[in-house]
Amino acid sequence: MKGAAAALLALLAAGCVQGEYNRITVDEPLREELVAPLRPGMDTLAHCLAQLGAPHRVFEYRVGQDGTSGAALLWVWREAAGWGVDVSGGSDEASASFSFNLADTELPGCVLWFGPDLVLERWQRGTLGDLLPGRQRPSPQPAD
Amino acid sequence: MKTSRSLLFSSLLLLPACALARQGTNEPLDAAVIRSLQPGKTTAREVVERLGAPTEVVQLGRRTAYRYDASATKSTALILLLVNFANQDTRTDRLWVFFDENNLLTHHGAWYGTHRPQYAMPWEDVHEAEDNAEADAERPGVVQ
Repeated sequence: MKGAAAALLALLAAGCVQGEYNRITVDEPLREELVAPLRPGMDTLAHCLAQLGAPHRVFEYRVGQDGTSGAALLWVWREAAGWGVDVSGGSDEASASFSFNLADTELPGCVLWFGPDLVLERWQRGTLGDLLPGRQRPSPQPAD
Repeated sequence: MKTSRSLLFSSLLLLPACALARQGTNEPLDAAVIRSLQPGKTTAREVVERLGAPTEVVQLGRRTAYRYDASATKSTALILLLVNFANQDTRTDRLWVFFDENNLLTHHGAWYGTHRPQYAMPWEDVHEAEDNAEADAERPGVVQ
């Protein structure tokens, strides 16, 4: 017991094991007061871009037989904070700084869907898992 | 003398340290160039001549959309003996330009954020409107 405590103390003193509190923020949440007044069936893509600025991603949406398509515009942001233990003395978070992983179903975001006439059909806030369910990779099939 | 040197050395070991880092991807978007884009007049070729190669090209049926972006990250760390506090704030500039089937610009939307990241501790609010307004004032041509 004494040996383990001494070893832990030595690791702590050497900086090999440290507690850490990290926060990572990427971009800002889309403000509710900008999104709430949008009117499905009325507001155009031009109006929404003027109100909200540029989204993070644009996807093809409702592709018709005649080659027309609507568009889905995604805004996403990240604010993660928490305690952890750093065993190595370095942090991997720093190198993984920017780039949204769209497979991260827990990230908050907002999507606006526009029909082929580029008029707003609907919008929704939520997590990427709810907003982009069709874009997730399928789970691996269990082996027989 | 020997004792005082030992004391000085020991106290240096216990002193906190701070680390600041800044990193970015791509050049911040030029608001003046973006303002020169004219829906119904500017072509995809002219957009590329002015802004360079886009980060992403998305097919939207017969339409296309180009994404331009840049990011800036400011990282702060307070390194203590037993615990570290770290914060990483990333913001992005984004531009989406939409073209019709004749490669004529129909819509565009921009967001400017690379001037907004802050060196901060993880318990500080980095999304305060006053801070954003102050940062915006130092970047000419940017109105969010």
